[in-house]
Amino acid sequence: METAVAIELSSPGAIIFWRVMRNLLLILVGLGLAGCGGSAVSSGRNTALDSVDLVSMTDDMAMKIMGSPMVQQQIAERGKLKVVVQPVENLMTAEVLPRGAAEAFTGRLRVLLSQKASDRFAWIMNRDDFYKLRQRETNYDLGPQPGDIQPEYALVARFSSITEEDPRRRESYYLCVFELTNIQDRTLLWSDKYEVKKQVVRTFMD
Amino acid sequence: MHRPGVGQHALRIACVLACVNCWLLCGCSPTARSPQVAQALRDYELGRFDVAYAALAPLAEKKDENFVLNNARLGSIALADYNLAMAESAFYRAYEVINSVNVNDPGRALAALALSEEAKIWKGEPYERAMVNFYLGIVYYMQKDYQNARAAFENALFKLRDYAEGAKSRDEFQERESDFTIGYLMLAKSWQFLGKPERAKPYFESLARLRPELTQLADEQRHAYSNVLLLVEFGDGPEKILGGDNSVVLIRPTPAEAGPIPRPQVYVDGKAQNLRGLNVPPIDMLELAQQRRWQTFDTIRVMKSVAAMGMLGGAAYSAHRGDDAAAIGLALGALALKATATADTRYWEMIPRTMFIIPLELPPGKHDITVSFGRRYEQTWRDIVAPESGESAYYFRITGTNPGPFTWPPPHLASEQVDGNQRVSRTE
Repeated sequence: METAVAIELSSPGAIIFWRVMRNLLLILVGLGLAGCGGSAVSSGRNTALDSVDLVSMTDDMAMKIMGSPMVQQQIAERGKLKVVVQPVENLMTAEVLPRGAAEAFTGRLRVLLSQKASDRFAWIMNRDDFYKLRQRETNYDLGPQPGDIQPEYALVARFSSITEEDPRRRESYYLCVFELTNIQDRTLLWSDKYEVKKQVVRTFMD
Repeated sequence: MHRPGVGQHALRIACVLACVNCWLLCGCSPTARSPQVAQALRDYELGRFDVAYAALAPLAEKKDENFVLNNARLGSIALADYNLAMAESAFYRAYEVINSVNVNDPGRALAALALSEEAKIWKGEPYERAMVNFYLGIVYYMQKDYQNARAAFENALFKLRDYAEGAKSRDEFQERESDFTIGYLMLAKSWQFLGKPERAKPYFESLARLRPELTQLADEQRHAYSNVLLLVEFGDGPEKILGGDNSVVLIRPTPAEAGPIPRPQVYVDGKAQNLRGLNVPPIDMLELAQQRRWQTFDTIRVMKSVAAMGMLGGAAYSAHRGDDAAAIGLALGALALKATATADTRYWEMIPRTMFIIPLELPPGKHDITVSFGRRYEQTWRDIVAPESGESAYYFRITGTNPGPFTWPPPHLASEQVDGNQRVSRTE
């Protein structure tokens, strides 16, 4: 009997069959342990601006605005600068920037400057935010109406991008410009930029 | 001592494989449509949006293989209910994953490869991806956020270009670019409202050149003077069904099976409007979906099917040679491959057959508007606001079950501070 089995197992077809079946079994058990567990949003990558960009961009801009000789000179001459902050203007190609994200990019910069240079900037809530808050928080004292205090400067950001897409990859180059503009005479007090290039390559499953 | 033969080994392994396969397929449970989803779809059709939300919202939060699909479904329900905040959020979540790569981690990719394709994270066929971007654009457009609307419409056209890039000739490439007409039109309109008519003009011109029957719709002056835009959805979009040996996906119905698209009539305060060529269907999603360039080529399934056929041939040859063990093994392998080569039939059920985009120039103030495709298919809204300047966009989804009359503003917008259907302006 053992001889018979040995003869059967030694046939090339049987050996291949046995190996294929063993490997298939291992693969399937492996899949059972590993498969179907991944999340649709935790594993993916895209070329959009993300939280890493938000942090590095606003850290960089906060340092640059505080270090600007022109800004320091204005503060020395006029005292605290009264600044209104606007959400980011989306000029990007084929990239949506929801309102929350658009506010976060200038909002974080404002927070950084408030923390590090509270004696140099006075922040005035923009008209939209004021009325939105007043509508929601009827019992909350929001202080004077936007028209009562005139901001002198506007902190604005404009994001532009060039995006190339083909079946193999998507590539985006971003230019994010921040400006501090005198509202009265529209002169530019300070401006700087943050640039980043991102690329993702599609795989077989994409 | 008795030792089993190879045939018995094969039988045992086959049983184990079958059990493992069943277990894995059950574990993944990527059913095309769960009873919960089916019920939500019925509620959506009947206009019971609150019930439909309740069923779909938890599913749309779940980050599984149906994350994009369930968010697209939720977005459709929210848009029909004028819950623009929820529609934006749902379509944006779907948009983010669609634009991402490597969303299938290695385990999931292997599961999709070896077991069921429905383990793969659904991103939709190209026409479905374009529609996610398009609807996201519509939601922004209705909120007068023309920058984001423009970006989303551009991205809808990117998807077109994406799949057209492989074309061999320039002519073919241009033809492919022309297909998603509603994307071009809305992109042109967004540029107009961004104060850049020079950027809008090429898109209007392309539309008129490529679809001469849309010349009236591509008239930039008409859009510049329009203060009410009707976005009218009609009919059922493409469905995916299994065909052949269950490894082929068929997209049905064809435009011929569904018949021609009727043209709407618009009544403002009871008076029929002369639409002068504006009621030509700008797109037929059934026709679009039939085109190969709007479908993904399902290489996994085809490869598995071909391999299974090869293995069956090998099994026959081995049996002929008297090598029973190899024949059984190859036959079982072929069966396993065929069993897991079942096509992915998940699709976005809410896509309409067409969306009419009708610009109207009305006296400023409130109006009652009825869009009618005949007595059975019509919808009436009262107190629609025609603004003095700019344009307000209104979404009509016409089925046989929702004639109205509805009163503007709908509950979700009435709770916000609105002007027409506009949120409070975001600029100083």
